[in-house]
Amino acid sequence: MLLPTMKHLRLDKRGISNVIVVMLSLVLVVIIVSNVILWSYQMNQFDWERMQENVEIVGIIQVVNGTTFTLQNKGSVTVHLVSLWIDSSTIHQRYDMDLYINAGCTANYTRDDISFVDNASIVKVTTERGTISVFTPSWQNP
Amino acid sequence: MDKRGISAVLSSLLLTVVAVAAMAIATSATYVITTNLRENMSERVIVEDVWFNNFTQNVDVYVRNVGEVEIYISAVYVNHTSESFNPLSLEIGEHQWLNVSLNWVPSSLYYIDVLTTRGTHVAAYYEAP
Repeated sequence: MLLPTMKHLRLDKRGISNVIVVMLSLVLVVIIVSNVILWSYQMNQFDWERMQENVEIVGIIQVVNGTTFTLQNKGSVTVHLVSLWIDSSTIHQRYDMDLYINAGCTANYTRDDISFVDNASIVKVTTERGTISVFTPSWQNP
Repeated sequence: MDKRGISAVLSSLLLTVVAVAAMAIATSATYVITTNLRENMSERVIVEDVWFNNFTQNVDVYVRNVGEVEIYISAVYVNHTSESFNPLSLEIGEHQWLNVSLNWVPSSLYYIDVLTTRGTHVAAYYEAP
């Protein structure tokens, strides 16, 4: 009973092209949908991590040969600080940074090429994901 | 010369060519559509700093590309009015000043909106010193 049916199916080639077309279309659709879901997941992950970032500049101390910034990561993800800004009324100066701070940790960052923080109205740091933390020195708010 | 069966060969050949062409068109259309979609989804820009420059009387905006694709700044609006600026494109992770030609007035509030070619807006209020 089974053998004649199998033989009949093997010899009957009608409708094969339809099957091939449907399979190829399905492959294309699966590729598109999986890519969209993957990219969406990646960028959602990026946005979520960015929302978890919370860095604070808790102190600025002028030392003999420069300035030390005390930075605290109050968020739940590791942050990578990439730029430091010293803004005054006359100039907005940007400095490259490369500092990682783990979640909940505090770090000191000393630069010997910064000595004019007294004039600064705003000090801020930027993370690699785009979070900006602003610090207004107390001497600007008597 | 025996010409029997040639039409069958020709029709099969033509069908193959049409099928291959159709699949090629479908594949390239898929590639273009998904690439555009991916680029739109992956675009992230931030404004790190805005400097109302006393020396040039212009507004300098420091822009950073924090997304996954290269960006092109297509327009800058200040208080909903298009202003001229230096053309700027930023690779992934790149950052640069965007010089906006604007005669700003001290102590005024400005709504600065930076627009990319893919339609991403970065906008905020800034007060001139």
